[in-house]
Amino acid sequence: MKDKIKIAAGIGVVVAVVVTLILYMIAIDGQDPSAYLLIIIPVIIVLSASYMIWDRIRNMRAGLPQKDERLKKVEYKAAYYGFIAAIWSAVGSNLLSEIIYDEELRGGLVAASVVMVSGLVFIIAYLVLMMKGDVE
Amino acid sequence: MRTRIKELRARYDLTQEDLAKKVGVRRETILFLEKGKYNPSLKLAHDIAKALKTTIDELFIFEDD
Repeated sequence: MKDKIKIAAGIGVVVAVVVTLILYMIAIDGQDPSAYLLIIIPVIIVLSASYMIWDRIRNMRAGLPQKDERLKKVEYKAAYYGFIAAIWSAVGSNLLSEIIYDEELRGGLVAASVVMVSGLVFIIAYLVLMMKGDVE
Repeated sequence: MRTRIKELRARYDLTQEDLAKKVGVRRETILFLEKGKYNPSLKLAHDIAKALKTTIDELFIFEDD
């Protein structure tokens, strides 16, 4: 039951993000083509999260656990990489903005870059470690 | 590290999925164990050895470099 609730919550989050992306695309409506570039990272995160949810459903249907000791280690390690990326992106995004545009980023944009970069690093690390086998 | 999981699994006519169900892990974990790419916890090593009616010593072979 707990596993099903977790999967349902995961699907809910993915649907909410997809709806937000659709609303965002409707709002920009071709005004600024470069604005479409901003959705690349969320799209990668959503696609990867969908794959992770599908993988868990497949295991559950086969009577196997969603998560085992190897996958827990994979999650911990990917979360560690995501955490490091979050710290560096908080510093790096502002620094890059100052170098390229000669102005500081607003707080909201720094928060957005932290979420996007750490999310992307977590997802990529998770998928790579999951397929690599060796978690050490 | 080498393992004899594949050999013993074949002896008892078990698929990777059967063994995974017996010890409560995902099928990929058994696959990576057979390839020697994953070091299991002592508990998992014990459970697999028990499922394959052998000992940890006989199941996992550590080669000196």
